[in-house]
Amino acid sequence: MPTPILQVRDLRTQFLTDGGIVTAVDGVSFDLHPGESLGIVGESGSGKSVTALSLLRLVPDPGRVVGGKVLFRNQDLLQISEDDIREIRGRDIAMIFQDPQSSLNPVLKTGFQVDEAMLAHGKTKAEARARTIELMKKVRIPAAESRVNDYPHQLSGGMRQRAMIAMGLANTPPILIADEPTTALDVTVQAQILELLADLNRELGTAIVMITHNMGVVAGLCSRVIVMYAGQIVEEGPVEQIFDSPQHPYTWSLLRSIPRVDALRHERLRSIEGIAPDLLHPPSGCRFHPRCPFRIEKCFTEEPKLQDVAANQRAACWVTMERARREMGADNLIDIRPGVGSGVHPGEGI
Amino acid sequence: MATAVARIADVTEPAQASLWSDAWRRLRRNRLALAAAIFLVFLVGIAILAIFYTPYRMSATGIAPTYAPPSLAHWLGADNLGRDQLSRLMIGAQISLVVGVGTQLLVVAVGVPLGLLAGYYRGWLDSVVTFVINVFYGVPDLLVALILVFLLGPSLANIIIAIVVTRWMDMARMVRGQTLALREREFIEAGRASGAKPVKMLFGHILPNALGPIIVQATFGVPAAILFEAFLSFLGAGVQQPTPSWGSMAKDGVDAIRFAPHMVIFPSIALSLTLMAFNFLGDGLRDALDPRQKR
Amino acid sequence: MFTRGTLIYIGQRVVLIAFTVLAVSSIVFLGIHRLPGDALFNEHLHGEQYALLLHHYNLDQPLLTQYRDFVVAVVTRGDLGESLVNRGVKITPLVLRELGISVEVGAFALLFTIGIGLLFGVVASVRQNTWIDYVLSTTSVIGYSMPNFVIASFLILVFGVWLDNVTNGGFYYQLGGWKGDLGQLWLPAFALGFPYASIVARLTRASMLEVVRQDYIRTARAKGLRETVIVARHALRNALIPVITILGPLAIGIITGSVVIENLFGIPGLGKEFAQSILNRDYFIVIGVFTMYAAMVGLANLLVDMLYVVIDPRIRY
Repeated sequence: MPTPILQVRDLRTQFLTDGGIVTAVDGVSFDLHPGESLGIVGESGSGKSVTALSLLRLVPDPGRVVGGKVLFRNQDLLQISEDDIREIRGRDIAMIFQDPQSSLNPVLKTGFQVDEAMLAHGKTKAEARARTIELMKKVRIPAAESRVNDYPHQLSGGMRQRAMIAMGLANTPPILIADEPTTALDVTVQAQILELLADLNRELGTAIVMITHNMGVVAGLCSRVIVMYAGQIVEEGPVEQIFDSPQHPYTWSLLRSIPRVDALRHERLRSIEGIAPDLLHPPSGCRFHPRCPFRIEKCFTEEPKLQDVAANQRAACWVTMERARREMGADNLIDIRPGVGSGVHPGEGI
Repeated sequence: MATAVARIADVTEPAQASLWSDAWRRLRRNRLALAAAIFLVFLVGIAILAIFYTPYRMSATGIAPTYAPPSLAHWLGADNLGRDQLSRLMIGAQISLVVGVGTQLLVVAVGVPLGLLAGYYRGWLDSVVTFVINVFYGVPDLLVALILVFLLGPSLANIIIAIVVTRWMDMARMVRGQTLALREREFIEAGRASGAKPVKMLFGHILPNALGPIIVQATFGVPAAILFEAFLSFLGAGVQQPTPSWGSMAKDGVDAIRFAPHMVIFPSIALSLTLMAFNFLGDGLRDALDPRQKR
Repeated sequence: MFTRGTLIYIGQRVVLIAFTVLAVSSIVFLGIHRLPGDALFNEHLHGEQYALLLHHYNLDQPLLTQYRDFVVAVVTRGDLGESLVNRGVKITPLVLRELGISVEVGAFALLFTIGIGLLFGVVASVRQNTWIDYVLSTTSVIGYSMPNFVIASFLILVFGVWLDNVTNGGFYYQLGGWKGDLGQLWLPAFALGFPYASIVARLTRASMLEVVRQDYIRTARAKGLRETVIVARHALRNALIPVITILGPLAIGIITGSVVIENLFGIPGLGKEFAQSILNRDYFIVIGVFTMYAAMVGLANLLVDMLYVVIDPRIRY
């Protein structure tokens, strides 16, 4: 594989809340290659958004990046000066956000907000405006010349998100981070936006980091995926491989819980029991063990590290699905309840 | 259906109780608000004390040299007629508190029902009330109060009436807004669906939820009213001599500011501390009663 | 920006203002004119002189006729009548001249209020929880907790007495004509505006703190904009919206506060006239001044609503 364009090593981000310290990102490491589309998947509270924000040092108070390295073009983004990281934001690494309604300034014209992305990095007003119109056409906003003068509230949700994408691509950055760009949109519009991103990835060669909780989005757009849980990476690998044969019980449960169009009507919806862990007091051992159907005793006490489970695929699990299938009848399980596969339940006191 | 609604009510009632104890806890932690509350208790104490005892009679003239600076005999000095300032300041506390609290009680009595009715029934009733509110907002309050006091005569009661007449709209408008928002909430729908009478809805469900903002608004209204009275006194339309109000004392003090600054300093400090105390308390109450606070 | 809907709205508001002014002046007019004739005059008059005087002021007519004549005079000629005390002095020109003076002082006060208030509020929010913030916040609480005449008195104490910088007559306007330059105006304008500057500062600070947490600020940062640009261009305009909400009551507060300040500093504006006329029992001037004030208040409210349209493009009437 070509040299990674971004290397994240042992990233750690904490929030100092009144109740205590919450480690939202706990030792995350991954690589991003040029032109690659990488998905980061996880439920709310898994730390995926905070990870993305940490890369550009955009974590809001009371959050702090407390450890790790983010290597981009031989610089550690976490160590460079404020002025330097500002240069990089929007020009080399761009980020677009989830809710275009609230992510665009309501009192400024949309076209101007796209212009700004370029004005901040040295273009003149005329250059920026010309390029804005070009970009808006590229992201398929109809009547771009007149739309530039509209305010965000005058545009539909889909158009707003396209404008945000235009904003992100304005300086043709090698990396675009998209934080749940389709979550706040209608399903049909979602599909269009994803298609647009896929086309742009192909045409412009922009590496895309796609953050989402929706496995379907990952399937449609990404070539590689990282699965996060409770601030840690639990599995990573090529998308097809992961979908075909997930090795971490969490990934497996996620994939299993997607309602299927061809499921029989009487089949119950399958969800993963339990709720996301309290990051103030994370569970001991493997963080997923309170909800894991295949846990063994080791899972309660020792935290598993990422290990190779197949070619290019790594998972952090003491059991892995391979064994769960072989020994615990995973494929025949109907309910995804803790311990139902392995039969291991906590003693008194949990 | 009715039993389901009754059970919903059971669930909401305890939540109500804990809102107040939550608020009380938060208020206790706000040291500024606590200090303000303590000061106000102290002030009320002085006002009550002044009913029975002041160092000198507040209207007694010539018991000290005119414009005398603070001394052992007269802790806060004397004014232009040789009256003891400390005694007058204590009586002034009564006046300010009566004006402040009295106006707010009346404002609540007038504004809350109007706001509730306008917000709940809407339609023509709301249009009329809103129109009246806007008309009252269209006139300068101080001038109207001046004219009212002038036409009716400058007694304490008339001053209170004048202030209420010009400032009831803030409460009415706020309560109307709260009612409009609350009536769309689900528990109101549930109540209506089970056939509860409007009066019960208004007083049993909407009012308790609007109580927080009403208290906060009234708490902020007190210093506004006291300030208003001070302005009226300064312009000569306040309580008449020899009854002292802090505003009229300050006015007398301004005339003598060059050679007897103590005359303006003490009533000014009294006014400022009292106003600040009510403002801080209001801030504290508002933060404590805000249901969006997560702690 | 000014769509047809907006213009219609303005029209409606103007009508409402006219109605309110008329209604309110009428109440005052009727209230005052119900006092018996000899209560209106300071001298004791009898017989023919008395009858002549009554006739001169139209007071020998039935109340409703007087009222009708008054309304007609005001609406068609802008004639507010004649002074009761100073015979022959027409009210309208007098009041208009004083209006100009009051507006000048008030405008300075307003500029000061908004300028200093916004500045302090933004600085306090950007330097949240530092000593600058504490100093500014405390000062602002003190500012709006004190009556403006108290602040004015202390200023006079400091600048007029203790520092001895300004001479005795420095604050008081010459009777013949007034200079109205900043050197003389700054003290009353400051005293008038300081309580409101404090309110604006407080509100701006709170508003900025909230705006800065919004998603669109995060977007602006992600684009690589500089912090100053973010504050000035992205944050401030949004933070201004709640400030404009109070601008109406604030302008009215300055208008009414000027009554006290003008009296204190001897400025020959509407406020001084109002208080003086009440004292002199020159009720007709009272009616005239009051009508002026009612109109000012209405216009101030309307201007503020229009300001909303300028600042927030989402608002169209």
